[in-house]
Amino acid sequence: MNPNIFFRILVFPGFLFLFVLILFCDWFERKIMARMQNRMGPSYTGPFGILQPLADYIKLLTKEDIIPHHARQFLFSLTPIISFSIFMLSIFCFPLDGINVFSNYGFEGDLLFVLALVTFAHFFLFLSGWSSSNPYSGIGAVRILMQFIGYDIPLIISAIGPAFLAGSLSLAKIASMQTIPFALLTPWTFILFLVALQAELEEDPFDVPHAETEIVAGYGTEFSGRKLAFIRLAKDTQIVFGAVLTATLFLGGPYGPVFSAPPSLWFTIYFVLKVLFVIALLEFVEAICARLRIDHVVRGNWRMITPAALLSVILTVLSAPYIRLFMGAPI
Amino acid sequence: MKEIAIEEEIIGTLEGMLGESVLGSKSPRPRRVYIHVKPAAHKRAISALLQAFPSTIISTITGIDLGETIEINYHFWCGKAEVTIRTNLSKSKPEIETITDIVPGASLYEREVHDLLGVKFANHPNLTRLLLPESWPENSYPLRKDWNPKQTGEIHDSSEKTLTIGETRTESNGGSLVNVIVGPQHPALHEPERFLFKLDGEVVVDVEPRLGYAHRGIEKAAEHLMFFQDVHLVERVCGICNVAHTTCFCQAVEALGEIEIPSRAKYLRTIVHEFNRIHSHLLLLGIAGLEIGFESLFQYLWRDRETVLDLTEKLTGNRVMAEYSTIGGVRRDLTPILGDEIKKKLQKIRDRLSFYKEVFQSDPTIELRTKGIGVLSEEKALKLCVVGPVARGSGVKSDVRKHDPYAAYEDAPFKEILYKDGDSWSRFMVRLEEVGESIEIITWAVDNIPSGPYRIRVPRRMPRGESLSRVEAPRGELIHYVKGNGTAYPERVKIRSPTLANIISFREMIRGCYVADIPAVLASLDPCFSCTDRMVFVDEKNGRRWIWSMNDLKARRRDS
Repeated sequence: MNPNIFFRILVFPGFLFLFVLILFCDWFERKIMARMQNRMGPSYTGPFGILQPLADYIKLLTKEDIIPHHARQFLFSLTPIISFSIFMLSIFCFPLDGINVFSNYGFEGDLLFVLALVTFAHFFLFLSGWSSSNPYSGIGAVRILMQFIGYDIPLIISAIGPAFLAGSLSLAKIASMQTIPFALLTPWTFILFLVALQAELEEDPFDVPHAETEIVAGYGTEFSGRKLAFIRLAKDTQIVFGAVLTATLFLGGPYGPVFSAPPSLWFTIYFVLKVLFVIALLEFVEAICARLRIDHVVRGNWRMITPAALLSVILTVLSAPYIRLFMGAPI
Repeated sequence: MKEIAIEEEIIGTLEGMLGESVLGSKSPRPRRVYIHVKPAAHKRAISALLQAFPSTIISTITGIDLGETIEINYHFWCGKAEVTIRTNLSKSKPEIETITDIVPGASLYEREVHDLLGVKFANHPNLTRLLLPESWPENSYPLRKDWNPKQTGEIHDSSEKTLTIGETRTESNGGSLVNVIVGPQHPALHEPERFLFKLDGEVVVDVEPRLGYAHRGIEKAAEHLMFFQDVHLVERVCGICNVAHTTCFCQAVEALGEIEIPSRAKYLRTIVHEFNRIHSHLLLLGIAGLEIGFESLFQYLWRDRETVLDLTEKLTGNRVMAEYSTIGGVRRDLTPILGDEIKKKLQKIRDRLSFYKEVFQSDPTIELRTKGIGVLSEEKALKLCVVGPVARGSGVKSDVRKHDPYAAYEDAPFKEILYKDGDSWSRFMVRLEEVGESIEIITWAVDNIPSGPYRIRVPRRMPRGESLSRVEAPRGELIHYVKGNGTAYPERVKIRSPTLANIISFREMIRGCYVADIPAVLASLDPCFSCTDRMVFVDEKNGRRWIWSMNDLKARRRDS
């Protein structure tokens, strides 16, 4: 076995790199959100407040960890860690610096594997709310199921578009096929994908599962201390995961023009920039929207988003020959 | 001359309809009418008033302990004048027929009088505690003059029924309803209050509000302080609309003492009152944004609100608690330099307002969450006697500044904003446009302020008599009723804050709405519970409540 693999899993581009990236994205997200809302955002811890997310996590890790009397103890303790691990594992499957963490190009069908993993992770978020035996958590958990089961469908359908154009279900292959990003070639799929993703990430206007003014913190209400840190980390990882998925499927993943230095360096830079771009897009939508009601969310999905996703796939299939001319790929 | 005619017309009409039952009538000031009727005739008098003036709404009910008897005053606004219908009850057996069947909006006021003075309203549908805790002993009525805190003693929180969250009750019709408790502590509520919602799935079937968690005994305390001290006490009824409270109280005392304040003071009061309104409305609109999950709107509105707070600080010396009005005028003068600055800065807010208006009118998510949600029809609004922006959002004309002008409002150029739909969106729009009107008023007042003194000296002692003052607080009509007994201490101070008038309509609005609509609809009422709860000093610690008398409080103050 390659001794290098431990370095890849633990340091770069594995845990350490991703952890730093997740913290940086959390900071980036908070900072641009604050600037859009006419606020300062984090500004004291480190230069431009860049260490604030790290400080928050360290603080949470030192806090008292309370398990409610009525909670299902086993599930309640386990779910934060599992949902975090699943999101982390799914990011491992993406080509990060040209190849994925396990130093290969993945396998045919890892797109489906990743999407399946994410559905699992959502289910664990649901369980975390359900196991805490709190009415607010309960309502939040039920809302997660309602929202995610609905929006997984258009998300997966819109993910088919790029896969069809690339003629492959392999993430690395889909990313490397995009000499021109699919976001420009099939903007209709890209926009639908972003809407569905917004719902998957529980960002405004779809942040119903943890609507603060209605159900406190939703499924996370009862968590404290280390468990809350893991729940928060899972949420942050989820957002990075969403950005990575979008970047890979629609923006050409880490691939781009390579100049003198080693390609993996360039690929990492492209990858990070694209991820930040997607996060900026998502945050912009969040800043200009109010929260919808759960019935609006569910109805909007079945009446508008899912049919539109189906239509967009049909449109992609019909226009595929012309798009492939642009891509310069063999038909 | 015309106004005198109105009051005489009202007295004439009622005396004609009631005949023998009228014991006396007077109209000491323009637009104030007092009619004293025989004990059992109050209901006939009120129906006669309703018949003669169909748009009559009840302002409040004041109970006063006169020693031998308890006096009940029903205050009504009949569209042209404030009519007080008064009747006396014997203190040994205070019982009177309810008027909730002809005026449904009187329900909470009757419960308040029942709670604090022990008057029994016969045939009232739900005569339970409103402000005091359930464990408060029977036959202990704090607003009676012979009440002694020691007699009530220490109160243990035991008899109050503990409600379990999520408790399911099967109704007699076979369906099952889930009880969900919101409050006393909840992120959507900024003050402690409890609502018991009965849900059928995600749909609200009914709601029972429980007030009284922030009850501080201000009305009782006011009787133990001198008039000029009470100004600072009523300022603390509410942190947001404090200017309205002081203005209202000072006006009442000035009317009682027949003091004419300088006209410069009237203009200055108007300016600060309108600052207060802008700051309160922007605050509420920001909260509305927060409640429907629109955080950017919240941040933007509150940033613009800072401008007004800064201007308030420059004029009064304080950012929030203005401490500006006093009996006989105001405490600080306006310099011409500050006047120019006020005009310049308000111009900026005016520009921002058109942007917010566009956001409220065109944003699809705001439309989804507020249009057609929490509807209160004009007919219901009149029946439930709601006030302020809530009434105007339903198309009911209720602006005290327009119909019962005080301070400098008689000459001020402004429009009364009315929306017809009665949904949450209309109520928010009323407030948004009122901010624009307030800016007009302030600009006008700064330009036209007369020169002269801004304060006159007044005696501490006030003559025997009574007066009722109304102002348009940011949340609606605010009433202070002050009764003097010839000393420096008031005999009775009665405060009716707008939220108490409006909270009754919440039940009407929220029926049939979704759980997610609760915060937004509640915000559209702009509830202010610390205004609503006053009167008895109750402190809550470790689940136990006990009561301190004023002397205990003073002793504690000395100790610490």
